[in-house]
Amino acid sequence: MDVGEAARLNALVVAVGRARDRTAFQQLFDHFAPRVKGYLMRLGAGNAVAEDLAQEAMLMLWRKAALFDPAKASASTWIFTIARNLRIDAIRKERRPELDPNEPALQPEAQRSADESFDWAQAEDRLHAALAGLPREQAEIIQLSFLAEKPHSLIATELGLPLGTVKSRIRLAMARLRQALGDES
Amino acid sequence: MSITHHPGDELLLSYASGAAGEAVALLVASHAAFCPQCRAAVQRAEATGGRVLADVAPVPMSPKAYDALLARLDEPARELVRAANLQSAVPAPLQPYVGTDFEALPWRHVGGGISHLPIKTRGGMKARLIRAEPGSGVYTHTHQGEEWTLVLTGSYSDGTGRYAAGDVQSTTPEISHEPTADAGPVCINLAVTDAPLVFRGLLPKLVAKFHGF
Repeated sequence: MDVGEAARLNALVVAVGRARDRTAFQQLFDHFAPRVKGYLMRLGAGNAVAEDLAQEAMLMLWRKAALFDPAKASASTWIFTIARNLRIDAIRKERRPELDPNEPALQPEAQRSADESFDWAQAEDRLHAALAGLPREQAEIIQLSFLAEKPHSLIATELGLPLGTVKSRIRLAMARLRQALGDES
Repeated sequence: MSITHHPGDELLLSYASGAAGEAVALLVASHAAFCPQCRAAVQRAEATGGRVLADVAPVPMSPKAYDALLARLDEPARELVRAANLQSAVPAPLQPYVGTDFEALPWRHVGGGISHLPIKTRGGMKARLIRAEPGSGVYTHTHQGEEWTLVLTGSYSDGTGRYAAGDVQSTTPEISHEPTADAGPVCINLAVTDAPLVFRGLLPKLVAKFHGF
């Protein structure tokens, strides 16, 4: 997904939030519903359950679109968090403890909110470039963390690696993402 | 407030990906309420999730799916955002579980200035609050598996250092762990374990026997 495509999707969610724009919603549905379904099936959901939850995710997008803030997440990231939480709720029957994203006291980073010029869309683009540049063995662990839903100890066992190796790959990958944004803290 | 002990990249990633169970997620989210640095790390990891979603092999929706959804767009929505009480000492993610007033909770006393309160979570790990009166609170306990402790109010110290509000300590059974609540405000912690805690004050001899002290 290139930057133009990400910006187009962001704008579509904003249009749904501001104007209940059903044409924009249909384009979002066409783009995201099959991906959310694919994500849920990768994590073990059957076709029918994945289809239902993908529908729920799109309904949630429709209802929450006014809360979408492209300064904090791309549309793809935002919909990922919606799908992730729906899945935890519907399949694992757990609650998802979340920071309330609308609380002023819980805004991302003091530094960032002070810096009006900070552009999250560009930041996310740099993150994605950093991800693409990760060594294969680090990228594999990160991807499995999202698509296997297993403790890292089990991922380590399945890959025939010591847990310490998996943990150090995670640390290296996360450090790379931090550097991509120039966050030294 | 300066936080020196963080949950670590592995826990932050598990929280962002959704792989972490409810009790661990509660601990990470509550820590993040104190910690801008870890909030930023979660935000970056979630952006990774956005990339994973963008790259996943799409599976076509059934032909009627969109029309079925259109029919539901005008249904009334439930309340989606619950406001947190920001004046409370209870971090926002913990408020749906225990409310906003630590002192109003039905603490269970275990002796020696220590009380605790199990928190209901689904999934494998156990979460509980532990309350230790200042100064008096040596709350040595043992656990079979990994344990994470998030300080919510006050502070405690053990052989490895001092832990204050927002800090997370991770311990394993191999670590002899004898935290003492510091003088000052009451020390309240959120502890997450994969096995039940055993307070040494309750069964000192038994625990000593099992653990060879």
